Amino acid sequence: MFASVPSAVVHGAEGHPVTVEVVITDGLPGFHLSGRPDESVRESRDRVRAAVVTSGLRWPSTRITVSLAPSQDRKTGSGLDLAIAVGVLAASEQVPRSSLDGLAFIGELGLDGSLRPVAGVAPMAGVLDDLDVVVAPGNAAEARVAAAGAVRLVDHLRELTGVLRSEAPWPLHEPPAVSEEPPRQPDLAEVRGQPLARQALEIAAAGAHHTLLVGPPGSGKTMLASRLPALLPPLRREQALEVTMVHSAAGVPLPTGGLVTRPPFRSPHHTCSNVALVGGGSHALRPGEVSLAHCGVLFLDEIAEFTPSALDSLRQSLESGRSHVRRVEVSADLPARFLLVAAMNPCPCGGGPPGTCECGEAQLNRYARRLSGPLLDRFDLRVTVQRPAVDDLLSSADGEPTALVAERVHRARQLAEERQGVLNSALAPHLLDEMAPLDAPAMALLRHEMEHQRLTGRGYHRVRRVARTIADLSGGPDGPPAVLGEADVALALRLRSGFAGVRRAGWAA
Amino acid sequence: MTATLPAEAYVAALAGFERMTSRRLHVLLAHHDPAEAFAMVAGVAPPVGLVAALLRSDPDLARHWRSEAQRRQPAGCWSECRQHGIDVVLRSDRRFPSPLLDDPAAPAALFARGDLDVLDARRVGIVGTRNATQRGRQTAARLGYELAAGGAVVVSGLARGIDGAAHRGVLAARADTPGAAPPVGVVGNGLDQPYPRRHAQLWDDVARHGALISEWPPGTQPDAYRFPLRNRILAALVEVLVVVESRERGGSLITARAAAERGIPVFAVPGSLDSPASAGTNLLLVDGAAPAVESADVLMALGLDGRRAGRARFDPRPLPRGRDAEVVAWCRERPQRLDEVAGRGAMSLSDAALVLARLERDGWLREAGGWFEAIDTWADLA
Repeated sequence: MFASVPSAVVHGAEGHPVTVEVVITDGLPGFHLSGRPDESVRESRDRVRAAVVTSGLRWPSTRITVSLAPSQDRKTGSGLDLAIAVGVLAASEQVPRSSLDGLAFIGELGLDGSLRPVAGVAPMAGVLDDLDVVVAPGNAAEARVAAAGAVRLVDHLRELTGVLRSEAPWPLHEPPAVSEEPPRQPDLAEVRGQPLARQALEIAAAGAHHTLLVGPPGSGKTMLASRLPALLPPLRREQALEVTMVHSAAGVPLPTGGLVTRPPFRSPHHTCSNVALVGGGSHALRPGEVSLAHCGVLFLDEIAEFTPSALDSLRQSLESGRSHVRRVEVSADLPARFLLVAAMNPCPCGGGPPGTCECGEAQLNRYARRLSGPLLDRFDLRVTVQRPAVDDLLSSADGEPTALVAERVHRARQLAEERQGVLNSALAPHLLDEMAPLDAPAMALLRHEMEHQRLTGRGYHRVRRVARTIADLSGGPDGPPAVLGEADVALALRLRSGFAGVRRAGWAA
Repeated sequence: MTATLPAEAYVAALAGFERMTSRRLHVLLAHHDPAEAFAMVAGVAPPVGLVAALLRSDPDLARHWRSEAQRRQPAGCWSECRQHGIDVVLRSDRRFPSPLLDDPAAPAALFARGDLDVLDARRVGIVGTRNATQRGRQTAARLGYELAAGGAVVVSGLARGIDGAAHRGVLAARADTPGAAPPVGVVGNGLDQPYPRRHAQLWDDVARHGALISEWPPGTQPDAYRFPLRNRILAALVEVLVVVESRERGGSLITARAAAERGIPVFAVPGSLDSPASAGTNLLLVDGAAPAVESADVLMALGLDGRRAGRARFDPRPLPRGRDAEVVAWCRERPQRLDEVAGRGAMSLSDAALVLARLERDGWLREAGGWFEAIDTWADLA
C-alpha cells in the first residue's frame, strides 16, 4: 500500500534529496501529487502512467497519492519520473518493496517506458549519500563522478522491474559513445604577429588579470581570446568537481570521462539576457554563463553591445567570485570565479591609426559611456590590438606555440602561489609593498603618470600587480627579481592605457 | 510696444523660422522694411509684391510661417540677442562685411559677437578635418600663430581638430606679439551655445579678441546641413584659404570648392601618402592648389611681409639620443605602435615601453589609442 523511494532535484548547482512517497488507497481512481510540484513535475503523471502501461505493467485503478518530501520546497524537472513510477509499482506490490532498499532513482520516462537522461545528475547523485543510484546510461559518466555508492544503468522500465523482481542481474550498459577526440584546442602558434596582444594573454593567464581587448574589426580579438583557456593549468580535483556540478546542472554536455578537467571557455552573445548571464529562470535556478565559466574564461565579445544592466549584474560576481540568485521563494548561491576577457572596437567606426576615425564627438561619447567606469576599472589589462601587418599575415613562420607559453605561465603561477598564496591579481593592497616593491626609477615613472592624471589610486595598485606578473614571467633561471624595475612598470602602464574613450570618460587608468 | 522695436528684432525673429533659407530671407527683406515683412508673413498685413508671390507659391509654407510667427515673437528674439551680446547686422548696416556684399550666395543678415571691423584687414582662412592627427593640429596651430603674427586675420570654423588648433595658435600669437591680427570664427549654429561644448572658452576668447559670425539667430542647433552653408560664408570672407588636413570626402573640401568658385587662392598642406587624414589635401594639390609649406608662402600671397612671422618657439625639451632619437624619427614618419617599435628596434616589449614612456614624459611623443605620434613645440596648442 505504501512505498518510499529516494530521489533528488537540483536548484542552482546544488542537489537536494527528495523522498517520493506513494500510497495507494481505496477510492475513486485518481492520481494526486503533492509537495509543491511545478508544471514539469505535474506532467510526469501522464508520462509515468503511459510508461507503466506500455511496459506491460498494471496501473492501479484506485486512488494514488504521491507526496514529494520535504514538501515545503518547490520541485522541478522530469528527473522524478522514475522514482514515482517505481513507487507506484512498489505500492501496488508489482515489485517487492524490500528490493528498493539502498537504491535511489533519477531519470525521465518516455511514453514507451524507456529511461532518458536528465540535466543535473552530478549534483543530485552527490547528495544521495551512499545509496546506489539508478540512472539512464546517458547520465552514467556524470553520476559516477559524484556518487558515493554504485551507479546502476537501466535503459527501460521493464528492464528495471526485472532486476527488482530478482529475475535478472543489473544490466551492463555501455554509456553512449561521445565523440572520441576532444575538440582540438586552438593554438597560439596560429596567431601571426601581434606580439603585444600575445604578451597580454600570457600575463592575463599567469596573473588571472581581467583583460579588455580593444581593436578594430578583424584585428583578431576573438582569435586571441579563444586561445587563452589553453594557457591555463588543468583544473585541480576540487575545482573540477565544482565545475562539473555546475555544467551538469545546466545540462551542458560533459567530456567523455564525466569530469570537466580543462578550464571552460564561455562566450555568450551580446543579446544574452541578464538571467542567462548570471543565472536564474524557473524554480530550478539554472546556472548562468558566469557560473558556467567558473574556473575558466568568460569572453564577452563586443562588450559595448551588452545591455548596461547585464554588465552591471556582472560586477557582483567579479567582486565576490559567486553569483547569488535570489527569488521570492528560492535562492541559489553559485560559484562564479572566472577570468573575464572582453573585446570591443575603439569607436563605432572601428578606428585605426590617428586621423582615420570618422566618428563625431557625440557618437564617441555615447560609445564610451556604454562601459561603466567601475566595470572598466576591473580590467587590469586594457590592450589595444591592431590589425596585423600584411607581412606577418603572409609569413609562414609560426608564432610561439601554446605549450611553450603555458609552461611559462605555470611557472609564474606557481611562483606567485608560493610567495603569497594567491595569484597576483588577488594580491591585497597592503601586501604590495612587501610582494611587489618598486625601485626608484619605477616609482618616479608611476609618480609622473599620477601627477599627469593618467593614473588613479586604484590604477596604481593594479599596475603594480600587473608589473609583478610581468616580472614573474620574465624571471631567469635564478627566479624573478624581487624588486620591480622601470621596464616592468612601463609595460604594465602601456597594457593599461586603453583607448580614447577611457580618457574621455575620466577613467584614467 | 511693437513700435519701439528696431528693425533688427524682426530680422532676428524671421531668420530663426523653420524652412527659412537665406534666399527666402533676401526676398522678404528686399523691398520691405523687416517689420512690414514680418507682419505680412504673420498674416497681420496683406502680403504684396515678391512676398505675396513667395507665400502664394507654397501655401503650406505660408501656413507654417504663420504659426512660426507666433512662436518667434520679435521682442523675445531681440531680448535673447541682447542678453547674449549678439548683434544683428543687416546688409544695409555699415558693419556688414564688404566681401559678402557682392557675393552671389551672401546671407541676408548676420549675427555677430565682437568687432566686425577686424575684417577690414588681410584675411586668411584655415580649415581642416575634425578628426585630425597630432601633426595636423600642430601644423594648424603653427600656421595660426605665424599668420596672425604676420598680420593676417585668421578666419576659421571653431570646430574640433584643425579649426580649434588654428585659433588657439592665433590667441597664443596675440598673447606673445602686440601687433598680431585678431581671430574671426564663422560657425554653423546659434552664437549662444558653443559647439563643440569643450570649445566654450575658445568661443569667448575669439569673440573678445576678434569676432564670431553666424548666419543663424541664438538657439539654432548645430544641424549637419548647416555646416556646408557656414563653409560658403567662410570661403567668401577670406582672401586665401589654407586646408591643413582633410579626408577624401571632407567638409573642408566643400570650403575649398566654394573658395575656388570665387577665385580665391587655395593652399593645401602636403601630407604623407599613407595618412588618410591627408588624402583630401593631397588631392587638392593634384588639382592645382598651392602647397603651403611655410607660413611665409601664404603671407606672400596676401601681400604681407613674412619676416615678422618667422620667430621660432623656444624648445626646452632635452634632445633624445641614440635609440631614443631613432624612435622619435620613426614616429615622425607615421604613428607607431608599441610592438612596431619593439620589432624595428629589436627590443623586448618592456624595453620598448620604457623608451616610449621616457620620450612621452620628455614631451617628444604623445600616445592616443595605442599609437605614438611625434609632437613638436606646438603640441600644447594643438
